[in-house]
Amino acid sequence: MSVVISGIREPLVLGNKTYHQITEDICAPTERVPSKAWIIAFVIAACFLGMYLFAVTWTIWMGIGSWNLNRTINWGYDITNFVWWVGIGHAGTLISAILLLFRQKWRTGVNRAAEAMTIFAVICAGQFPIIHMGRVWMAPFIFPYPNTRGPLWPNFNSPLFWDVFAISTYFTVSLLFWYTGLVPDFATVRDRAIGWRKKLYNSLAFGWTGSAKHWQRWEYLSLVLAGISTPLVLSVHTIVSFDFATSVIPGWHTTIFPPYFVAGAIFSGFAMVQTLMLICRRVLNLQDYITLEHIESMNKVILLTGTVVGIAYLTELFISWYSGSLWEGFAFYHRLFGPYWWSYFGMMFCNVLSPQIFWKKSWRRNIELTFLMSIFINIGMWFERYVIIASTLARDFLPSSWSYYSPTWVEICLFLGSQGLFFTCFLIFTRVAPVVAIAEVKSILKAAGNQYAGKNTMPSHHDHSHEEEHDHAHH
Amino acid sequence: MEFQKDNIWIGAEHLTNDSTFVEIAKQEFHHTSVEDTLENMGEFNTNRRDFLKYLGFGISAATLAACEIPLRRAVPYVTKPDSVVPGVANYYASSFVEGGDFNAILVKTREGRPIKIESNTIYGIEGSSARAQASVLSLYDTHRFQSCGKISDGKYTAANWETIDNEIKAKLAGGNVRIVTGSMMSPTAKAVVAEFASKFPNTQVISYDAVSYHGMLEANLKCFGDRVIPGYRFDNANVIVSFDADFLGTWVSPTEFNQQYAKGRRIQNHEEAKMSRHVQVESRMSLTGSNADNRILVKPSEQGAAILALYNAVAALTGGTKVEGASVNEAAAKALAKVAEELVANKGKSLVVSASNNVSEQILINEINSRLENYGSTIDFANANLQHSGSDEKIQSLISEMNGGASNPIIIWGCNPVYDLPNGEQFKAGLAKASLSVSFAAKMDETTAACQYVAPANHVLESWGDAEARKGQITLIQPTIAQIFSTRQAELSLLRWADSSNTNWGAEQPYYEYLKKYWEKNVFIPGKYLSFQTFWDNTLHDGVHGAPSAPVARKCVCDVAQAAAGISKPENVEWEISFYESVNIGDGRYADNPWLQELPDPVMRTVWGNYLSLPIEWNGSNDFRSHNDLKDGDIVEITVNGKSEKVIVIRQFGQMPGTASLAIGFGRTVAGAGKGVGTNVYPMMKSMSANYASLTIGAKVGEDKDFASVQYHHTMGITGKQEGYKDKEDKDGNINLDEKALGPGYFAGALTNRSIIFRTHVSELKTKVEELEEKRAEFAKLNKETLYSGHEDVFTAGPHWKMYVDLNSCTGCAACTVACMSENNVPVVGKKEVHRHHEMTWLRIDRYYYGDITNPNTVYQPMMCQHCENAPCENVCPVNATNHSHDGLNQMTYNRCIGTRYCANNCPFKVRRFNWLDYTTADLFPWNENYKNDENMLTADGQPMYADNLVRMVLNPDVTVRSRGVIEKCSFCVQRIQEGKLTAKRENRVIRDSDVKTACQTACPTGAITFGNGNDPESTVSKLIENPMSYRVLEDINVNPSVVYSMKVNNRSEMA
Repeated sequence: MSVVISGIREPLVLGNKTYHQITEDICAPTERVPSKAWIIAFVIAACFLGMYLFAVTWTIWMGIGSWNLNRTINWGYDITNFVWWVGIGHAGTLISAILLLFRQKWRTGVNRAAEAMTIFAVICAGQFPIIHMGRVWMAPFIFPYPNTRGPLWPNFNSPLFWDVFAISTYFTVSLLFWYTGLVPDFATVRDRAIGWRKKLYNSLAFGWTGSAKHWQRWEYLSLVLAGISTPLVLSVHTIVSFDFATSVIPGWHTTIFPPYFVAGAIFSGFAMVQTLMLICRRVLNLQDYITLEHIESMNKVILLTGTVVGIAYLTELFISWYSGSLWEGFAFYHRLFGPYWWSYFGMMFCNVLSPQIFWKKSWRRNIELTFLMSIFINIGMWFERYVIIASTLARDFLPSSWSYYSPTWVEICLFLGSQGLFFTCFLIFTRVAPVVAIAEVKSILKAAGNQYAGKNTMPSHHDHSHEEEHDHAHH
Repeated sequence: MEFQKDNIWIGAEHLTNDSTFVEIAKQEFHHTSVEDTLENMGEFNTNRRDFLKYLGFGISAATLAACEIPLRRAVPYVTKPDSVVPGVANYYASSFVEGGDFNAILVKTREGRPIKIESNTIYGIEGSSARAQASVLSLYDTHRFQSCGKISDGKYTAANWETIDNEIKAKLAGGNVRIVTGSMMSPTAKAVVAEFASKFPNTQVISYDAVSYHGMLEANLKCFGDRVIPGYRFDNANVIVSFDADFLGTWVSPTEFNQQYAKGRRIQNHEEAKMSRHVQVESRMSLTGSNADNRILVKPSEQGAAILALYNAVAALTGGTKVEGASVNEAAAKALAKVAEELVANKGKSLVVSASNNVSEQILINEINSRLENYGSTIDFANANLQHSGSDEKIQSLISEMNGGASNPIIIWGCNPVYDLPNGEQFKAGLAKASLSVSFAAKMDETTAACQYVAPANHVLESWGDAEARKGQITLIQPTIAQIFSTRQAELSLLRWADSSNTNWGAEQPYYEYLKKYWEKNVFIPGKYLSFQTFWDNTLHDGVHGAPSAPVARKCVCDVAQAAAGISKPENVEWEISFYESVNIGDGRYADNPWLQELPDPVMRTVWGNYLSLPIEWNGSNDFRSHNDLKDGDIVEITVNGKSEKVIVIRQFGQMPGTASLAIGFGRTVAGAGKGVGTNVYPMMKSMSANYASLTIGAKVGEDKDFASVQYHHTMGITGKQEGYKDKEDKDGNINLDEKALGPGYFAGALTNRSIIFRTHVSELKTKVEELEEKRAEFAKLNKETLYSGHEDVFTAGPHWKMYVDLNSCTGCAACTVACMSENNVPVVGKKEVHRHHEMTWLRIDRYYYGDITNPNTVYQPMMCQHCENAPCENVCPVNATNHSHDGLNQMTYNRCIGTRYCANNCPFKVRRFNWLDYTTADLFPWNENYKNDENMLTADGQPMYADNLVRMVLNPDVTVRSRGVIEKCSFCVQRIQEGKLTAKRENRVIRDSDVKTACQTACPTGAITFGNGNDPESTVSKLIENPMSYRVLEDINVNPSVVYSMKVNNRSEMA
């Protein structure tokens, strides 16, 4: 055992690391030849990316008619994927901004990867509103720029227009935040590199020298960005929810949507972080940095947000009955018992019921179970959006126009392919940048009032981490 | 030295003070003269700047030259005709005549091409039929013959007119010419035939109708000595009883009957509401039956027995004697007895009609009407209908003659006997033996393929002619476009072959002169007009000659007992199938018209095909079911009269248990767009009068993967018994089955409580109107907020366009839908795309059933963009592509649309249509057109329909053709509004109500649609909106539509 700083708390970094060991451990993946697992994963991801590009080209070439949307259900997989990916993108900001402000130090182990995930998820999300346009070549019309058409401005009343700004702001701020964090770490990699890598990382590190002034400014910038990002965590998905909440369609026209969407977004974001982290720590040997403690903490967030989402579902149901509104009542009756019942029950099971197992501590700390749950939640949250979008539209006001929708191969390829885009980006990221924030992890190695005691107590810790895990499992 | 400063010089000339240099330097702006430049052209002394200029020009020129811009040539008039002003439409009075169909029409032409059919109201009928509306598209059918030709083994080879004229003349000589036609309405054409017959003395004209009125005509001959169909006045009838006659859809003269019928059904005053009562006796749910107050279900074979039952009941009440004969099912007998009481109570103000082709049954109908004293009031021989005059016997005896060794010349004119006769195969065999066979068909069809020659006739819009559809009133037909192809009027061909001496062959338009001469001799009565020319000019302008005459009463003379013996006998079989004419395709002659193929059947809501209607019942717990649990779109094999066919099933409310029905006119084998669409029913029929047969339904053999119906959800309030549930009055088990079928539990009111349709019985109208007013007051409380508050002045300054739709007048005839497609360039998308719910119709007619499951009633609701004041589509469009005009229109700007489809999602009425694929071939590249897999959407040479320049001639130049990826929807015919505004402006006055009429409004035969300025309290539409029966659809969600509907009222009474 490493030095126990608190009698109650587990240490944030295991394995009695020295600062040097941390550098070694985390920089290693960027410096060695990729492992077989990485290569296989990358090839698969790239294939999916290729499929995605093909499906996008097909869609733009042939028209939206290559999808199975119809006169009643005008959004299906496209916007479902959009909202799903945006939601996934939420965990990054939450971890980096809100947890930073709340001084949750455990965030340092996962924030880099979570932020990367955010960036890539938002990239994926941003694809769909563009490719779902019937005339994508006219997409610039949605930007407010002075023009010779009057000038003719976009419709500032339209939530879809708000989306443009919500998503682009979010992307910009997330990118800045992520990159700011990366600068000292790139410098670390640079200092260890030789040849062309040194040049590459030199430019990436922006000439970071590690001077006190650099660190001071860096700290300030992080804080300022955290301040900017914090409202974004709440606002982005709120605005996405306005796409639905401001409409007139029963099942969409709901005031509960903003908080419900935000909770759902954090929920799904953490699930995706879990999925990624559980793989990363195993493949990249980061068990000492992404510890069971992290996993448990994130499972707690999942349990909380999953329950919030569950309460939102039940509130919606209750209000649809309590309001006495025929439209509301029917919309939810239809969700439960209509032709799309399977998606509603899939959503309920995956999002509300299954996370309840995390009330039990040993299950929260069970890696296999956590991984399974994270996949469940990813699926469940996709179902949630599908329920809200496709199934709500299927039966709205006039029974004459009711219809049914199931995707074509193009839409399925777009959905699966967007994951190819995501994982391709993420896999490249794991090779290029330190997956754990080196500088930040080092900052929490010593807690206030404690002396750094690692090296003196137990000098060697290689191959210790696995035993560590078993120990915890037996507690 | 004067230009050197401080002894600084910049060139040799400067230093030496060269005189030319000094000269140039003195000028502030130095120009090289053009001559100098030209002189120096040969030398290569380009400087750097010139080089760059040339380079730039060269590159851009090369780039431009590399892009091939597709050329669309427009040829200007060399000499502009006086009457044609580019951009201004001309209207010509004419007639639509096709088979037995007739409409007096105005043809709208733009720059010399007909683009739209309107009704000629001078004839006395407003509105037209869907078929007439669609006829303009068939003018531009690419499958038309481009010249005359010879045909062998069904293959066409073009020929020139002179050659075939000579060959035909030679073959006609000495033969007993047989001219096979449909019903002929044209007096001049009859004169032509007479002249032809004088040249070829043994000529016989054999006219027949595929949907035959033979029985009726013969009955009238027997009873009244007149082989005609009388004129009917449904508007004068308080009680209408129809035995299987689909008079609102297809029977005799539906446009006229729609107008009359609606007159009797419209509620003028809700406090003393009066409307006619309509009872339909039938087995299938016809368009007419769906409008009826009560339907009495009898099997097709029981029709005769039902007529007899009514006769006996009427006779009993009017002092006649009962006659013995076959008896009808008990429920129907009971109901018919009640109907008889109503009829007798409305003597002289009732009407009984039947579509039966059995002479005896029609005699009974005549006797019933006679007993009810209807002749002279609701039935009128003075204004007899002359649209149908065919004879079954004649065509059948011709077939025997043809196959009996007589080798005669046969001329086929305006009919398709090989296809549309039950024994068409025999006709074909006979045709092969004919010494000469010529067809006048405009397109290759089954009969023409079996002929030797084709002398293609003009389309009706290219022809001169006349038509006497109603006795004493003749309408003219005038060409509205020069002949597109080398075709010739059929009449002219006959005259040519007869070497007519009455024809001025040197004239530019010989038949025009022939027609005029005929009219001068036979129609013109000097008096009102000074000269024939003034008479002719006026008549041609009006399109109509003559006025209706005063009705006369006639007495029916017949032997009832003999008639009773001749009625068809009820059969006792498990399944009976009836064959009927569909509203859109008719007897098959409209199968090639894509507008009509894609027009949803008013009742079944299916497109591109005929579907076997099977009765539907409640399974007792949670769903509707049909025979063998067949579902919509299942394919079954049926056997009728020994013929087996695979047909697609649709479950149909109102179809009598134990019966099925299937439309004729489909399954064409030699045709254009209609080739192979649906199943051919004719070979299943035993004879022309046997429109029913016993049926064997086999097992399900598959599913139609492209099953295309535009409305899957059938009903709003079908009620029936369900154990364990109690209805509102606490009666056992009578609940809304359709709501029960939505899912587990029973969500009462899930459908019926929607503020979509308000309906009531005529006797409860007063209370229901009060309830509606209360409800609307409640809605008004929810509707206080507006999206555009503070801008009220903008919307009250000018006109505010509103529409009023009278659901009580609307019969669902669908003329408006086709009119809208024609006016607004709405594309046809084909069966596969409709299957995917990609239909583009801007105006659809929603059909909802309500009432008892075995015998429901129907509401038709025309649904188009509601032009909401608080339009939910407008505020969600990110680019302002849809917005509100100051005169209340919800506008759609195609150029601005980027296709997010958010507006379509947020439209509560689901009237927005998205161009999923390149339906109009507006893109430069062909890969995304949807026609690739749909051969019915291709032109004769395999091009996408809309890519063909001929088909594109039908487009309305005032309406943008939409490209792929944009949303479109009803614009309230904004181009017509604009035209009205311009008229008002030109006349320097405020725009009036009557300046603008939408396409759907002018096409509607029942006057159900009224359009106008809602800001003008004196306008018709404002007054109608004030009517307490009016309401807005979904009034509770505060979108504030500009379209106002009226409550649907029925006059049902309990018959059981």
